[in-house]
Amino acid sequence: MQVTHRLELFPERSVTVLLFNRVRNAAALRKKAMEGAIEGALINPAMIVDPFQILVAANKAVHLHKTGKMKTKSLYAEIIFSLSPNNNISDAFKKFGISDSDTAVLIVLVVDREKPVNLEDVASQVEGQQVSLDELPQLTDTAKVKKMYKITPQEEKMSTLLDSIVCRMSTKDVL
Amino acid sequence: MAAAEAEAGSVRLGMAGTVDPAMDEPGSAGPAMDEPGFAGPAMDEPGSAGPVMDEAGTAGPVELQVPPPPLPGLQLVRQGAEAHVYRGLFLGRAAVAKLRIPKRYRHPALEERLSRRRTAQEARSLLRCRRAGISAPAVYFVDSVTNSIYLEDIVDSVTVQDHINSVQQSGNYTSSLVPLAEKMGELLARMHDEDLIHGDLTTCNILLRPPTEKLDLVLIDFGLSFISGLPEDKGVDLYVLEKAFLSTHPDTEILFQALLKTYAATSKKSGPVIKRLDEVRLRGRKRSMIG
Repeated sequence: MQVTHRLELFPERSVTVLLFNRVRNAAALRKKAMEGAIEGALINPAMIVDPFQILVAANKAVHLHKTGKMKTKSLYAEIIFSLSPNNNISDAFKKFGISDSDTAVLIVLVVDREKPVNLEDVASQVEGQQVSLDELPQLTDTAKVKKMYKITPQEEKMSTLLDSIVCRMSTKDVL
Repeated sequence: MAAAEAEAGSVRLGMAGTVDPAMDEPGSAGPAMDEPGFAGPAMDEPGSAGPVMDEAGTAGPVELQVPPPPLPGLQLVRQGAEAHVYRGLFLGRAAVAKLRIPKRYRHPALEERLSRRRTAQEARSLLRCRRAGISAPAVYFVDSVTNSIYLEDIVDSVTVQDHINSVQQSGNYTSSLVPLAEKMGELLARMHDEDLIHGDLTTCNILLRPPTEKLDLVLIDFGLSFISGLPEDKGVDLYVLEKAFLSTHPDTEILFQALLKTYAATSKKSGPVIKRLDEVRLRGRKRSMIG
């Protein structure tokens, strides 16, 4: 169903990714997220091609959080920001966060290994159905993704979309 | 035996000894230090900060002990002068981790700046290559604190060096490698047309994806790369490769000739570059600069 991965470089942290479809209360969820009343980063699945993309963003966010170098105010905000290929924070939220009319929502949780993951707590706040991450490809808007990350046609020929995306995410701040 | 400490600039004939990226199954239990040629103790579990570099009892190590990254399926690939290179699983994918070795003999401010610049250059060059459609590994994570980089592992690849060696050893004619040389020329022409200078072109920095017959080449190790449009820099880049090529692979002059021919045919800006290459050759070591 959901995907959980322990971060190798930060072994005390674990990342869980949940996908929900047929969501009816996206507006309320977004409001809660803005207020910080919900645990987790709420992401628009249309912009995600693979859970690996999320893991790379989460890994980077945790690294920056640990070293006190985050650009945003919270770990979850930083995850959303890390997904973006550019350095505009509000643009990142607009494009990668959820909007009121969304019917699918991806939630990312980062927990300490010791603390038990309270998935039911989060899932209960979503008025929708939790589905397996295997359904993610059906929700991805590939054209939108290519446009957002500015993937060149030459690049498409020599690499996967996922690798191209991840490369941009991770090199954003050294460019 | 200290690993070849030859810094950049001079021609690198690959790392100390032959680099043989042993390909065990990914996920083989625990890290394996396979190469008998590598100095240093075997590592137990990933994450144990055991002494890595053994300076054979010289007074005070000039290098910090760099603990291996705690990746599952960890394998040491090479202990270079600049970084320790490992293979392992990172975020569930086969990855290569290049952990930079801090040089304590350098002034710390300089060390930090240099380290950061090299890592940034590598990341930038990899992205630049990929955007232009030149095969290079994807970057998964840049650790800004240790200036280490985690990249895509080109699984089951062989270095061009190993491939040429195995072809020659199995008794095949060198001429069978001409298509490979031509592919290399084409690849380098495209890279130079992007004004990207690799800085450390050797046959162990070019990989062949499986199956080798497809001649699908991947450029790696951009730690010494930089951007330049100057024919001089491109000429020197090619010269470095030529020297490395001919010294590592004797009797392969026809291959490098084929490489240059395709380079000249592929790159629109190749004229001045080849001209500079000829001049650089005359300039080389043990050459008389008289007249």
